[in-house]
Amino acid sequence: MRHGAREVRRQLHESGATGLVAVLLVAVATTWGGALWLVRGWVADTLLARGRPANVVAAVRSAEAAAMVCNALTGSFPDVRCSASRPEDTKEELARWFPELSGVLLGLDAASFPSLLHAEVPMAEAARVSGWLRARGEVTLVENSRDWQGRLEKALSSVLLIGFTLTVALLAGCGVVVLLVVRLLVLEHSDEIAIMRLIGAREREIRLPYLACGALLGLVGGALGVALLFAISFVLKSHGIPVRGVTPLATVVPLLGATVGALGATLGLASLPEEP
Amino acid sequence: MILLENVTKSYRTRPALRGISAFVERGEFVFLTGPSGAGKSTLLRLLYRAEVPDSGRIVVSGHDLAAMRRRDVPFFRRRLGVVFQDFKLLRRRTVGENITFVLSLLNLPDKEQERRAYLALRHMGLQHRLSAYPEELSGGEQQRVATARALVQQPDLILADEPTGNLDPERSHELLELFKTINYQGTTVLVATHDRSLIEAHPARTLVLEKGQIVQDGWALGD
Repeated sequence: MRHGAREVRRQLHESGATGLVAVLLVAVATTWGGALWLVRGWVADTLLARGRPANVVAAVRSAEAAAMVCNALTGSFPDVRCSASRPEDTKEELARWFPELSGVLLGLDAASFPSLLHAEVPMAEAARVSGWLRARGEVTLVENSRDWQGRLEKALSSVLLIGFTLTVALLAGCGVVVLLVVRLLVLEHSDEIAIMRLIGAREREIRLPYLACGALLGLVGGALGVALLFAISFVLKSHGIPVRGVTPLATVVPLLGATVGALGATLGLASLPEEP
Repeated sequence: MILLENVTKSYRTRPALRGISAFVERGEFVFLTGPSGAGKSTLLRLLYRAEVPDSGRIVVSGHDLAAMRRRDVPFFRRRLGVVFQDFKLLRRRTVGENITFVLSLLNLPDKEQERRAYLALRHMGLQHRLSAYPEELSGGEQQRVATARALVQQPDLILADEPTGNLDPERSHELLELFKTINYQGTTVLVATHDRSLIEAHPARTLVLEKGQIVQDGWALGD
């Protein structure tokens, strides 16, 4: 054990600048992957929040028609909460949304604006309620927050897929760097390894320090990645972005780094021929 | 301790050993001599199982080397002390680390490793070179470090391949005296050398190899 620890320290020391590059690469890859995971959590919790009711907004020809449709809607769907607004309300709301156009908007005739119907619908019923409204002749336009969320989710999924693919590619790159570090060490030490065998070192005693060195490079890189993630999470939270905690990642990321390092080292050790 | 039965070894088509048979008893001191290319180093390499014979049987300390499983070879080598002709020191490690390396494989405590390494180096008059790297040492000093490494684990059998090749006559005789002392304590010693004057000064059983065959086995060297 003592022998192994001493040999691992020696290999870590000898890995030098290339070892440091491997550590930094693992840190970058894991921070990137972890940051994406945080963003994904934030999107799921805040933007996509599927537990919340969906909002359905419909434009109706007149205020009276809007009130009538609202009554009919709550009659058909008892779980739905519905309210109707007059064209004046629509005009004022649009003016609030677009303050730079408020002068123009407020100067227009209220009859130019539709009455709006707002419905709070359980998420599961959003599609049915939208369909029900579209089938009504008085309703001219129906928009449903579930559809927007769906579109947003689809777009974010694509972005996250690309991001996570990049993470995997970066981690594979880290594995290759560790592989090269170990291969270089093994090549540099090939004469010493032959001597160690001659004086009684077992294959395990020769190979394990290199393997442990690769795994440790990955582990340190992963730990550094977690530290960076804590910093990122702190900055985001201090800017009011409610990201999930980093704690669950604190174990997974260093282990992932260590696994990548160990895999790279194993492949690097393949260049070390066994004693004939 | 060592049994050789009709051992042959060839490199491609060039025969290095041709049907060698010999027996060395436990506690014996034996010289192996002969001209360059006679097969001395090949025979030693077979004895520490760096190579396997093409045919024949080699038994060392009760282990049949041809039948030995690969995973048992390191344990077998730990019971040997080998002094290599080209020293085979670990050049990235200090003299002290070169010696403690073999002891660390035995999982001895650090203090014990350091104590034994110091004593072995003191035996060789090199205790003041503990922190030096092999490249900072002369050929003779490297040879003595290699010898200290071979002796430090108190082996059952010492195999020395031209151990005096880089030493001046005085140091050579001192080293031979050291081997004799260790031999008196019960360790079997096999020294390969082409230095006839050394054999004459330290008479012992001598195996003479020529063209891969033992041509003489006895206490007196023929002309």
